[in-house]
Amino acid sequence: MKPFLKLLIADLKQFFRDRTALFFTFAFPIFFIFIFGWVFSGAGDMSYKIGLTNNDETSVGDSISQMLHQIPIFEIIEGEQDAQMEELEQGDLKAVIVVPADIASSIGSGEPSEITVYYDPTQTTSAQIIIPVLRQAVDEINRQLTQQPLLLRLSEESIQVHDLRDIDYLVPGILAMSVLFLGLFGSLTLVERREKKILKRFGATPLRRSTMVFSQVVYRMILALVQTLIIIAIAYFVFGVQMVGNWFVLLGVVLLGTLTFIAIGYFAVSRARTTEGAMPIIQLIQFPMLFLSGIFFPVDLMPDFMRPVMDALPLTYLGDAFRQVMVEATPLYPLWIDIAVLGGWLVVSMILAIKLFRWE
Amino acid sequence: MVIDVDNLVKKYGSIIAVDGIGFRVDSGEAFGMLGPNGAGKTTTVEIIEGLRTADSGQVSVLGMDVARVPAKIKQRIGIQLQAPSLLPLVSVEEILQLFGGFYERSLPVDDVLEMLSLQDSRKVLVKNLSGGQQQRLSVAMALINDPDIAFLDEPTTGLDPQARRGLWSVIENMRGKGKTIFLTTHYMEEAERLCDRVAIIDHGQIIAMNSPRELINEYFNESAIQFEMEPPPSEVILKSFPGTTQVIVSGSEVIIYSDNIPATMSAILKYAEKTGLTEQLKDLYVREPTLEDVFLKLTGRKIRE
Repeated sequence: MKPFLKLLIADLKQFFRDRTALFFTFAFPIFFIFIFGWVFSGAGDMSYKIGLTNNDETSVGDSISQMLHQIPIFEIIEGEQDAQMEELEQGDLKAVIVVPADIASSIGSGEPSEITVYYDPTQTTSAQIIIPVLRQAVDEINRQLTQQPLLLRLSEESIQVHDLRDIDYLVPGILAMSVLFLGLFGSLTLVERREKKILKRFGATPLRRSTMVFSQVVYRMILALVQTLIIIAIAYFVFGVQMVGNWFVLLGVVLLGTLTFIAIGYFAVSRARTTEGAMPIIQLIQFPMLFLSGIFFPVDLMPDFMRPVMDALPLTYLGDAFRQVMVEATPLYPLWIDIAVLGGWLVVSMILAIKLFRWE
Repeated sequence: MVIDVDNLVKKYGSIIAVDGIGFRVDSGEAFGMLGPNGAGKTTTVEIIEGLRTADSGQVSVLGMDVARVPAKIKQRIGIQLQAPSLLPLVSVEEILQLFGGFYERSLPVDDVLEMLSLQDSRKVLVKNLSGGQQQRLSVAMALINDPDIAFLDEPTTGLDPQARRGLWSVIENMRGKGKTIFLTTHYMEEAERLCDRVAIIDHGQIIAMNSPRELINEYFNESAIQFEMEPPPSEVILKSFPGTTQVIVSGSEVIIYSDNIPATMSAILKYAEKTGLTEQLKDLYVREPTLEDVFLKLTGRKIRE
């Protein structure tokens, strides 16, 4: 116990004295949340600037203008058509709505009248959102003008207990990524220490190898827990992401995930002679894992032939487990399957690592 | 007897690093293993320390079989490795505490710091230590468990003369306290000064073993004459000088072992005069033979070539 604790404390001291390590372990995931957080949370309450040229001076034009002003995602700016068209072309306005001058008289005579919307089709997202919203608004105006009663109404009910935004999906993904990094890169310490003959120096004392590895593993798990708390705190205080699940289950999954990726890392570098040789192996595992596991992209975006790959990657299950525990998102698999698959990877990698690891 | 090595063999592929080495070290003895780089010193020591396994042969340390109970032996020996590398971001004091914690019994860190005059750098991080300080720290780490045997592998390599002398006095102090010291070195003067007994090792074999004084007396009743001359006389001419027993020429440097110094000296001077090379004759002096000369005589090579 004494050598184990002393080693653990020495490693933690080293860690907190190493600015690069501190940055990559703590600042990097935080940085990631902020960047993604701002990108995604922006989409939720973003408003589109829409130009409105109202050529009708009657009450009909006024009421149309009022209706448009009420649409929450539109910021309506009234002005002259020519000036507004120029702003549209420059991208300052996302669309320009033109109400014709003769609209009141047309309606009076029962003739259909046209409200024109100009938009830039190259701005796909805004066009995809603005046009359907406008169509709905025009239907509503139509219905009010013709005073037809409403016979059908669509009632929207989310099956989620609480609404999930993109950021809610993202935070578990970032947590999974951090655990992946922390686990995989842990193995490099051992390779570096072997290369620099620090392992040999330890080996010249009665210290057991198992004690040394165990203290490394526990050290990584402590970092993982601290990292988790930081990520959850930032997600909660800055972006209002609620951690709705059971804390013990969450921390348990964090520890299991860290262990699994430490074992995979040790196995991956078991035959590598140098840190330079081990680094690319780790990266070769890490990058495909990040992009093919669906921790950042919804599974539906993945082409079908990639599904088996995705289903094999442990990170998929870690991300899925985090998602269902943290924000109660609809799971891909039941939690016990996520845990079982991670456990399977852990056991297999650990056995291989123990068999193959090159100590000298 | 605290170390007993019998017929040790270690091969790396077709290279025989250790070729049937055997010797014994008594308690309280300072034993030196002397030889050029690549002679098999480090391999031999690391087998004794339990860091490598031998292909064949027996090693017992403190009465225990190294192959069977290495962990038990490591509790009671202190090991200083060549070219030590340590955790870079812990301080001198912290690393000594860490390593002390690996043993059942260890000395107070302050005592060890004082022994190696490291008190002033106790708070310094390992990565900020000078080469000499690192070397002293690595010796300190070998002493933290108050070992019965301290293994020091080339402890003064890379040190400036002053730091080397400092470390020598640390080792002499340990000798004074009756500790057994196992030293490997390729510095002859170090072995001569520190060791009760030395084994000279070359190509994986012990070629001579005795106390430094005995070794010199055993191989030499002559003295050495050393000089430089450009071009040096041929070996045939040198050997024809009266009193000459052996000659070694390397570059412009000449060593003649002679049992009749006046006769050999006058022959050298005559030769220089006759060939008109008097101007070329430099640094001529007579000295007592050293371990270096023993090695030269036994192998025909200088130890640091």
